[in-house]
Amino acid sequence: MKRKSSSRFLYIAIAYLAILGAAAAAAPWVAPHNPTAQNLENRFEAPSLDHPLGTDNFGRDILSRVIHGSRSALLVGVVSVSIAVVLGSVVGLIAALAGGLVENTLMLIMDSLLSFPTVLLAITVVSFLGYGLAQVMGAIGVIFSPVFARLVRAETLSIKTEGYVEASRALGTPIFKTVFKHILPNLLGKVVVQCSITFALSVVIEASLSFLGLGTQPPTPSWGLMLKDARNYLVQAPWMAIYPGLAIALTVFCFNILGDSLSERLNPRVYRR
Amino acid sequence: MVRNNRSSAWRFIWIAAFFLLAAGMLFASPQPEEKTLNFALSGNPDTLDPHKTSGTLTFQTVKSVYDTLVEPDPEGKLVPALAERWEVSGDGKTWTFYLRKGVVFHNGDSLTSADVKATFERIKSEETASPNRNEFEPIQSIETPDDHTVVLKLNEPWSPLIGTLGSGWGAILPKSLIDSGHDFASQPVGTGPFSMSEWVRDSRIVLEKNQDYWMKGHPKLDKVVMNIIPERAVQVQGLMTGEVDVSYIIDEEDVPILEDSGEVTVERKPTSLIMVMSINCSDPVLSDLRVRQAITHAIDKQKVLDVAYGGGNPIGTFMDYSSAYYKDFTDLYPYDPDKARSLLAEAGVGDDTVLEMFLPQNYPPHVKAGEVYQEMLTNVGLNVEIKLVDWSTWISDVYRQAKYDLTVIGHTGKLDPHGTLANYGRESRYVRWANEECAQLIDKAAVTSGYEARKKLYDQALEIMAREAPFMFLGSSLRRVVYRNNVEDFRMTPNLDTFDFRWTDLK
Repeated sequence: MKRKSSSRFLYIAIAYLAILGAAAAAAPWVAPHNPTAQNLENRFEAPSLDHPLGTDNFGRDILSRVIHGSRSALLVGVVSVSIAVVLGSVVGLIAALAGGLVENTLMLIMDSLLSFPTVLLAITVVSFLGYGLAQVMGAIGVIFSPVFARLVRAETLSIKTEGYVEASRALGTPIFKTVFKHILPNLLGKVVVQCSITFALSVVIEASLSFLGLGTQPPTPSWGLMLKDARNYLVQAPWMAIYPGLAIALTVFCFNILGDSLSERLNPRVYRR
Repeated sequence: MVRNNRSSAWRFIWIAAFFLLAAGMLFASPQPEEKTLNFALSGNPDTLDPHKTSGTLTFQTVKSVYDTLVEPDPEGKLVPALAERWEVSGDGKTWTFYLRKGVVFHNGDSLTSADVKATFERIKSEETASPNRNEFEPIQSIETPDDHTVVLKLNEPWSPLIGTLGSGWGAILPKSLIDSGHDFASQPVGTGPFSMSEWVRDSRIVLEKNQDYWMKGHPKLDKVVMNIIPERAVQVQGLMTGEVDVSYIIDEEDVPILEDSGEVTVERKPTSLIMVMSINCSDPVLSDLRVRQAITHAIDKQKVLDVAYGGGNPIGTFMDYSSAYYKDFTDLYPYDPDKARSLLAEAGVGDDTVLEMFLPQNYPPHVKAGEVYQEMLTNVGLNVEIKLVDWSTWISDVYRQAKYDLTVIGHTGKLDPHGTLANYGRESRYVRWANEECAQLIDKAAVTSGYEARKKLYDQALEIMAREAPFMFLGSSLRRVVYRNNVEDFRMTPNLDTFDFRWTDLK
């Protein structure tokens, strides 16, 4: 029963994410209007046939902006998660395989990164690097790398001592081959699950930073930036806040569902239950 | 029946006793209700020392704590305040101020000429590093022939001085505390209508009535609580629920809901702000006059004022619309996108030239205006990229070091036109625009006395600025002051953007 309902959620989540991905890829063709074109005569227009989600304080079409906004959200997700995975995995592997002082130093750095609140750290990094989407992606990537480093290190430490790995090492397999043949494939499942959760978090952080004016720069559409604009018009034009807010909430929710389901499926202990 | 009667009699007695007790407590309260005004301030001041900042929030706060020798009346004319009267010698170099008697500071000191001397010396001292120090530069010496007479000797006749003395940075501090190195940045002590009793940073500033204020019968309020509320939407809610009595940063978009509530009165008042898009004239592309003209031709000023600033009057030069020195040059470069395109073609500037527009993101109206400007400039073929920056970055990079191409800002009006115009035409100003003729006209007007004579010089200077367009001059916006219906006579000081709570009362 539980299994059935959770898989129904999973299909809905996958369908939503697929639509989102397609919309982001085909944004210029799908969006009914130019997302940055202002029409100062049509400000704060309520949802209508021409503007299905209404217009904002510059008379821009909100549907088009939500669709184009998915591009920044997904782009940030993909790039920053990639940075986090690569950086975190390399650090985690080196720490686990080298041991000793190297391990302690690397993990100390990673743990100290983890000790900062995520958004605060992101703001600090972006203030140093300058505002903008590229800086935000870099910052989020670095901030989430410790999660992957800890995961990879812990898993590697346990896999390293498995009989077949020790046997293969005893037969003289070089370390690189061991890593690629035995360790990484065994890590994959957990890393993928973590990716899905991190993706959701990075969408939220991109939105937060853009909301604070540190991320995507106007007039490029971004959900967080749309919320920032909407904040002052909550009573007059609630549609300005509702739709980008809904887009963020749904995207995060679906990535989390995906992460949960994947962890159920990929984790043999849970699967056997 | 009998029982029932008895119990209802008891009930009656209990209720009567309760009411008697309550009434007794009411009558027993010894003092009438305190009149407290809840004011919404839009941000936390960086310091409360009027001599060490140019921040408007500081002057808005300490205006009620300090007095100046002279002050602007509701029409902007300078009238006596701490000085009962003053005289200027025939050569314009000796200014004599006669101080009001019986004025006391919040710490109990009586106001004497020594306090005035110590105050001006504090501003002039390099150690204080006052941003307004240069305005006091013409004062060569300060003499105090008796306790209530101050004589200022100037090294040249300097008309703008009276405006300086009436501005927030002319606040008079007590000599005893200046000498003891008192921390004026967090504990202001003056002669003003209110003394500050509490400053909880980013939360509130509490002002208590000065019982010994020199203006008889004022202030009428017992207490002013300045609640620091940066979010406009929160201020709007506060006005409707009664947590906020007065707010001065309301947008045109908020007006319908506020008026529907029936709780508040909305007043639209012209500000003395000069809204501009500043152009960095040291940039190789923007140093071309044709490009700057094109930028002005590309902008529909009234539309930007309406969308971003909630309405206002367009201007064509660097002087606020309501100033006595304002001259209309709006017809010089009117809204004409075709003209703009042909000027850009002539100058050979296309969309391969990226212009960076820096917007101070703590000022949403400027950010909004910037987004509209960008669209209008794109429309004539320019390529403008927006960069949001925080206020400290704007001050250090844009305003001090001129690291920008375009930026959007409002210049606050000054009591004297020299305050607005000083040093324009010299490259020290952040638009990096050099025009010796204009700079000299401005210098000359400062040492000229009499409105007519000065106006003639300023007219010429303002015309040069209009023609040379180191700014895209937008206009002077309207301000919406909203107060709850029980608030009477809330005033703002003309040109200074500060609040005058002395007249305010609660019904």
